[in-house]
Amino acid sequence: MQVEISRRRFLQGSVALSVVGGVGISSENLFSSGTESSHKIPESITTKTGSGDAKLVPTLCEMCVNKCAAIARVENGVVTKLDPNPMFPKSKNMLCPRGNAGIQALYDPDRLKYPMIRVGKKGEGKFKRVTWDEAYDAILNGTDKFKGLKQILEEEKDNRSTFVFCAGEGMAEHTFKTFYTGFGSANWLNHASLCLRTVVSGYGVTLGAYPQADLDNAEYIIMAGANRAEAIVTPDTMDFFKRTKGRGAKLICIDPRFTNTAAKADKWLAIKPGTDLAFVLALTYVVLTEELYDKEYVNKYFKGFEDYKKHILSNSYTPEWAETITGIKKEDIYTIARDFMKHAPKAVYYPGRRSTFSKNDFQLRRAMAIFQALGGGIDSRGGLVFGKKLPLKGHEVVAPMYAQAQGVDVDRKKGGHGYADCAVVSGGGSWLAFRNRVLEGRNPYPARGMFVYKHNPIMNMPNRAKTEKFMKNLDLTVVIDTMPSDTAMFADVLLPECTYLERTDPVKTFGGVEPAIAVRNKVIEPMFETKPVIEILRGLTEKISKPLFEITKKYDEDVQEDIADRGEEAVYAEFDLTIPFKHSQEELNEHAVSGYPGAAEALKKYGVYYPEREKYFKQISLNEYQYYPENARYYSVTGGKPKTNSGKVECNLKSLARKGIDPMPTWHDEYEYKVPEGKFRLLTGRHAQFTQSGTSNNAMLHDLIHENYIWINKRVAKQKSIEFGDLVEVSSKAGTIRIKAYPTEKIAPDQVFFIHGFGEESEALTWAYRSGGNDNAVIEDVLEPVYGGAAMHETNVEIRKV
Amino acid sequence: MARYGMALDYKNCINCKACEVACKEENGVLLGADKHRIWVGVKEIEGEWPNLSIASSTFVPSQCQHCENAPCQEVCPTQATYYDENGVVRVDSDKCILCSYCMVACPYDARYVDDRTMTVDKCTFCSDTRLARGEVTTACQATCPTKVRVFGDLDDPNSEISELLRTREHFVLKDHIGTKPKLFYLV
Repeated sequence: MQVEISRRRFLQGSVALSVVGGVGISSENLFSSGTESSHKIPESITTKTGSGDAKLVPTLCEMCVNKCAAIARVENGVVTKLDPNPMFPKSKNMLCPRGNAGIQALYDPDRLKYPMIRVGKKGEGKFKRVTWDEAYDAILNGTDKFKGLKQILEEEKDNRSTFVFCAGEGMAEHTFKTFYTGFGSANWLNHASLCLRTVVSGYGVTLGAYPQADLDNAEYIIMAGANRAEAIVTPDTMDFFKRTKGRGAKLICIDPRFTNTAAKADKWLAIKPGTDLAFVLALTYVVLTEELYDKEYVNKYFKGFEDYKKHILSNSYTPEWAETITGIKKEDIYTIARDFMKHAPKAVYYPGRRSTFSKNDFQLRRAMAIFQALGGGIDSRGGLVFGKKLPLKGHEVVAPMYAQAQGVDVDRKKGGHGYADCAVVSGGGSWLAFRNRVLEGRNPYPARGMFVYKHNPIMNMPNRAKTEKFMKNLDLTVVIDTMPSDTAMFADVLLPECTYLERTDPVKTFGGVEPAIAVRNKVIEPMFETKPVIEILRGLTEKISKPLFEITKKYDEDVQEDIADRGEEAVYAEFDLTIPFKHSQEELNEHAVSGYPGAAEALKKYGVYYPEREKYFKQISLNEYQYYPENARYYSVTGGKPKTNSGKVECNLKSLARKGIDPMPTWHDEYEYKVPEGKFRLLTGRHAQFTQSGTSNNAMLHDLIHENYIWINKRVAKQKSIEFGDLVEVSSKAGTIRIKAYPTEKIAPDQVFFIHGFGEESEALTWAYRSGGNDNAVIEDVLEPVYGGAAMHETNVEIRKV
Repeated sequence: MARYGMALDYKNCINCKACEVACKEENGVLLGADKHRIWVGVKEIEGEWPNLSIASSTFVPSQCQHCENAPCQEVCPTQATYYDENGVVRVDSDKCILCSYCMVACPYDARYVDDRTMTVDKCTFCSDTRLARGEVTTACQATCPTKVRVFGDLDDPNSEISELLRTREHFVLKDHIGTKPKLFYLV
C-alpha cells in the first residue's frame, strides 16, 4: 500500500513541478516517470479502495470502442476504482477487464506528458520537450530538422490534399474531423478501411442500415466469424451468453478456430478461412428450393427476388457444392438452413463488426443480409433491429472551399469513384490503397504531411515495413495521442492528449431497442501538460489559421476574386479555422442536448439520459435493471420495412455492376481456400483482455496476458518438435517476426493464429516493447476490391523453430 | 451479523477475467500470475481438430470458498485465520507468521503470499472495502458482464441467494471432504 501511494503521489506531484517549470529533463527520459525504468512488472500498481469519503463521477469507458458507462471512484484526488454504471441500457451494469484496467491507462508512467518536437532522425524516437506554443510554432514554421505547414503549402501551391488526416475510433474523433474539414484536405483516412467498412457497407446497400441484433430475444443464432465471448460488444455479449447452452438460445458457431464463443455453442463448425460466402449461398439454396422463406415478407419487401433465386439455382450453390469448398458437411448445412427458418423471424445470422478478412467480404455481408431477410427477421423482436436514436443538435463547423486542393484521385474526376485500386472510395478512404499509391508514385500529388489522432497505423495496417517507409517520407507528421506508440515515434511534433478520465468528450446518442444519450464526464483534471483534443486544436488553429489563409490568398484565384467582391474580412470568416473550437466541450454538450428538458443536468449527475428514465428505470434484481418496459422498447421502427431508398431488400444492385462489382453475391473460383504444402494460413483476431494496440502498454492487462502466443496444431507442432513456449519464426513476403508457440487442437493443421496488438517496437513503452509478435509485420497488403479494405486473412506464412 | 455466501451461475462465464481485474483494483492485490484472490479455471479441450468435445471445454470461476469448516483456520498455529462476524474467513496479518500451513491445507488453492506484508492473503468478500462501506456486494459480482455471481446473506430467507439456492439445483466443490463451502455452483 505504502509504495503504491507514493508512486501515485509522484505522478500527481509532477503536475506541480511542470507548472513551476524549469525542470531540466533530458530527451532520454521524457517518456518515463523517472522512477521506474526496468522492464519487470512493478510490484505495486493497484490501489485498495477505502471506506472513507469518495467522489463518484459518472463517465464513459474508452478502453475499446463500446463506450460502456462507468462510475469512477476518486479518493484524495486519486482514481481508485472504476465500477459499472448500471444506468446505461447499452452496457447494462458491467465493466469488462479492460474497463476495470482503465486506471492503469491514466497512471501509466510511460504516458506522453509534454509537447515534444523531434531532435533525432525520423523514427528514431529522440524528442525535445517544448512548450505548447513552441510546438504549435514548429508545426507552422518547422525547425532545422523538418519543414513546417507554411513552407510545404507554399511548395504545393496550397494543395491542401497533400496533408493526410487519420484517426482511430473515439468520441472525440469528430472534433478532430472538424479540423480536417476546415483544413480542406481530401484525404481523410480513418480506421474504417482497416476495420468494419465492408460489413457496414454490405448491410447498408442491402438493408439500408447496419442493423443491431436483438440477442436478448433471438431463439436461434448463427455466429460466423464473430467471437462475442472474446471480442466483447455491449449489449450483445451480456444479452447472449446468459442464454446459451440450451438455456433459451441455440448457438451455431462457425469459425476456423475453437474460440471461447465456440465453447459456449451448441455446435461448432470449423470452416475453411474465407469461404463463409459459399456457406451462406448454400443455406440460401436450401431455403429457396425447399421454399422455407417468409413469403409474405419477400413479396412485400424484396426487390430482385426472382433474379436472385434464379442466380442461386442456376449456379447450383448446393450444400453438396459448398461442402468441398467450406469443409462443412452438407448435412449440417441442410439442418442449419431448416432450423434457422423454423425459428425465424426470431433467428439471427449475426452481422458482426470485425475487420475485413477476405477479398469477398463485401459480398459475404450482402449474402448474409439477404439470407436474414428471407426469414423476415428484419426490424423485429428477436431478429435484426434498426432501433431508435434520440437526435442531438449540431454545432458550427467551418468548411471552406480551397480551389487548389485536389480531389481524392484524378480517376474520380474522370467519372470514376476510387483510387482505381478499389471500386468505391467511401468517406473514410482506403488507407492501404492510398499508402501504396503514394509509395509507388501512383498518386497525382505527393503526401507531404500527416495529422494523426489516436491512431497507430504502423501497428494496425498490414505490411508494417511499407507503413514505416510511407511515414519516413513525410515532411511533417503531427501526432496527437496519450501514448508513445510506434506511430508516435515517427512524429515530428508530438502533442499529448489527456486520457479519457481527464476530459469531457462530445455527448453521444446511442440508438437501439433501448435508446439513450450518454456523456463522458471529466473525472480528474488533466495530469502533466496534457490537454483534451478540443483544446489542443483551439491552440493550434489560433496559431495557423491566419498564416495559412495568407497562402490561400496567394494561390487561390477564387478567393482573390471573392476578396475583391466582398472584402477580406467577410471571406476570412469562412476560412477561420478557430471557429469550431471556440466553445468549451461542456458548452457544446449543453447545446447538443438542449432539446431535452433536464438532460444536461441528468448527464452531469448520472452520465446517462433518456426521456422517461425516471419512470422506467428500476432495479429488478441484484444484477439486473429495467431501462424500458417491454412495451416501450423499439424492436420495430419501420414495421419491418428496410431502410434502403427503395424501401426493399436490394438483391440485385445493377449500380454495382457499373463499377465492376457483382450485382448479386457470387462465388468465384479464386476465392477458394488454398495453402501451399508446408505453409500455413495466418489468422488474426481479438480477445477480451486487449483492444488492438491501444491497450498494449497497460500494466494490469499485461498481468493477465504478458505476450501473445501463436496457435499451432498440436500434431503438426509435434512433427516439427515445437513445444509450448518454444520460440518460432513466422515469415511471409511482408516480413518476419518471432513469437512463442502454443500447440493446441483448437486450430486446423494448415493454419496458425495469434492475437493482434502485440510486438510494438517503441522503446518508450515499458511493457509493450517487443512483447510478443506483431501480426501486421507479417500480414501482406491484400486489398479488398470493393471498398479497399485491408483483407487480413489472405496471407500464407512459413514457420520455423528458432 | 450475516452469513455471506455466493452463488455462481458458472455456465455464463466467458473467461473474460473482468472479475480478476476488478478484484485486483478494488483490493490493491499485487500483480503477478501467482498473486490472485480469484481466478477462472480452464480445462484444455479434449479431442482432435475438428472433432472437439464442446462439453469438455469449461470455464469455472473460483475464489476462497469461505468454508464453514475451513481447514486453513484449523491448522493456523497463531489464530491469524479466523471467521469474522459475517462468517467470512479472514487473515489477521499482524498475527500471520507465514508458516504457510494454511496454503497447504486449503483444498481449493485459494491463498497466496502478499510480498509487501510477507503474510498470507486471500479473498475477503470485499469485507474491508465494499462491505465496510455498507454495500452488500463484491467487486467481482458487480463488474461481471454475464452476471455469473450473486452475493448475499444465507441467513436471510428473503435474500436473492437464498431464493436461488431454494429454486436452482447446485453443487459445492469437493463436497465429500466436509469443508462446507459457501460458494454454490448453479446447474
